[in-house]
Amino acid sequence: MAFISSGYNPEKPMEGRITDIGPQHYAQFYPPVIARNKGKWLYHEIIEPGVLVHVAESGEKVYTVRVGAARLMSITHIREICEIADKHCGGHLRFTTRNNVEFMVETEEAMKALRDDLASRKFDGGSKKFPVGGTGAGISNIVHTQGWVHCHTPATDASGPVKAIMDEVFEDFQSMRLPAPVRISLACCINMCGAVHCSDIGVVGIHRKPPMIDHAWTDQLCEIPLAVASCPTAAVRPTKVELDGKKVNSIAIKNERCMYCGNCYTMCPALPISDGEGDGCVIMVGGKVSNRISMPKFSKVVVAYIPNEAPRWPTLTNTIKHIIEVYSENAMKYERLGDWAERIGWERFFQLTGLEFTHHLIDDFRDPAYYTWRQSTQFKF
Amino acid sequence: MAEVSFQGKTFEVDEDGFLLRFDEWCPEWVEYVKESEGIAEITEDHQKIIDFLQDYYRKNGIAPMVRILSKNTGFKLKQVYELFPSGPGKGACKMAGLPKPTGCV
Ligand code: HEM
Ligand code: HEM
Ligand code: SF4
Ligand code: SF4
Repeated sequence: MAFISSGYNPEKPMEGRITDIGPQHYAQFYPPVIARNKGKWLYHEIIEPGVLVHVAESGEKVYTVRVGAARLMSITHIREICEIADKHCGGHLRFTTRNNVEFMVETEEAMKALRDDLASRKFDGGSKKFPVGGTGAGISNIVHTQGWVHCHTPATDASGPVKAIMDEVFEDFQSMRLPAPVRISLACCINMCGAVHCSDIGVVGIHRKPPMIDHAWTDQLCEIPLAVASCPTAAVRPTKVELDGKKVNSIAIKNERCMYCGNCYTMCPALPISDGEGDGCVIMVGGKVSNRISMPKFSKVVVAYIPNEAPRWPTLTNTIKHIIEVYSENAMKYERLGDWAERIGWERFFQLTGLEFTHHLIDDFRDPAYYTWRQSTQFKF
Repeated sequence: MAEVSFQGKTFEVDEDGFLLRFDEWCPEWVEYVKESEGIAEITEDHQKIIDFLQDYYRKNGIAPMVRILSKNTGFKLKQVYELFPSGPGKGACKMAGLPKPTGCV
């Protein structure tokens, strides 16, 4: 396509430049009923999966229909969201912190028309465009990352596994049969962008081999001291190597100290680490961020490795489904997955789920590892 | 990797226009880059920052933290941006011939 200028002048880049204006103020985009009743809400109800009603002191009501979204979406899809908002909601809508979409209307009739319209829309392949759900004690959207779509450090994909998992647990997006909400998150490397470290179920991409070292470029492309300081186990050190008869500054890695975190590659492009067969996922469970009853918790590693099986990740999705089933059969009402596992004891969690307990799961990182071992005779056979 | 020629010199660069080798840096490089970095004329102040970055890199093998750059050159971050509109990383480090900044930038 031919070049079309926006009016920006590359000869004078600072001329007419607008900066530091921040985001638009959110109040500009309030539906009128939200603006009128802001700060004066009395109570709310979940009418059915995906549909909420909030009642204000004034007696005014706002009905919210929450729908799933793939997070990664085209302008075409956003335009369709806008078209729906124009048709039903006076042009207003919002996105949730789990990247669901919420449409708000003021009457029950309008809500039903909206809900049925949303539920009827499908992609050509058959997937629902706007599945209604994600409320209450069910499984809402999966907070996820870039994967093979855009990042350079992933050990697994994001969009692919998320679609595979949501397909597997889809019924729980559209129902509220679990003891408490189950938050699933996925990160494609141990940078853990997102919420995997504090979710009921977290999926994280991991490597199982040390980085390769591109000696010819190490000293050119990298600030070697940064690579040294990037290693949590001090496996990286500077060294000189002989290359085509010349001595060059480079990096050496103690393989037996390396646990393949990939941090050094983040800092130094000459240390690529990804590997088709080596890479895969771990599953972590038991995290939460709310203060409801128990304090917030980190999720814990319970499955040390599941291979990448694109495009549907069957082992991963089956294992997650299985963990959810065992949790939902055994936990008490309001008990988050972590609350349940801690109440029954992790040895019982492994027994009930049938997950294999391998040596990988025993913490061995610095002094704090000791506090994760059992200094008590209290355990169940 | 791409090569660019300017005033009789050739430079090996990456897709972001960073020099692949610090050793290939020469004053012509600064002249070549300045336009794409939104700089009309290299002043003494520009030179002072470039010199400090190079000096620090030769001694320490890393680029200085922004605070250290400010403290040593006396330029507040705002002034650094006035001199190098793309900022200390993309602007000044590129012109000084330092390796491309890495990490979650
Ligand atoms: C200081 C302000 C806020 C904090 C600290 C906060 C914190 C949180 C946290 C921690 C969660 C996740 C809960 C969990 O997974 O257990 C959450 C979810 C949510 N928050 Fe907030 N929030 C704030 C403000 C708001 C506001 C102003 C709104 C809407 C107007 C909002 C709407 C939501 C929604 C809809 C969800 C659930 C999303 C979903 O399940 O799809 N939050 N919030
Ligand atoms: C007096 C005011 C309110 C009270 C006391 C209240 C209380 C609650 C409680 C107790 C929950 C369930 C938390 C849980 O199960 O962990 C909840 C969930 C929620 N509330 Fe409210 N709320 C109020 C106002 C609002 C307003 C004004 C909005 C938005 C306009 C809102 C949006 C939500 C949402 C989106 C959820 C999550 C539903 C779900 O994902 O299951 N609430 N609220
Ligand atoms: S989790 Fe890792 S691989 Fe995924 S987007 Fe974040 S940094 Fe990139
Ligand atoms: S991958 Fe991680 S543990 Fe291994 S050398 Fe690099 S930084 Fe250290």
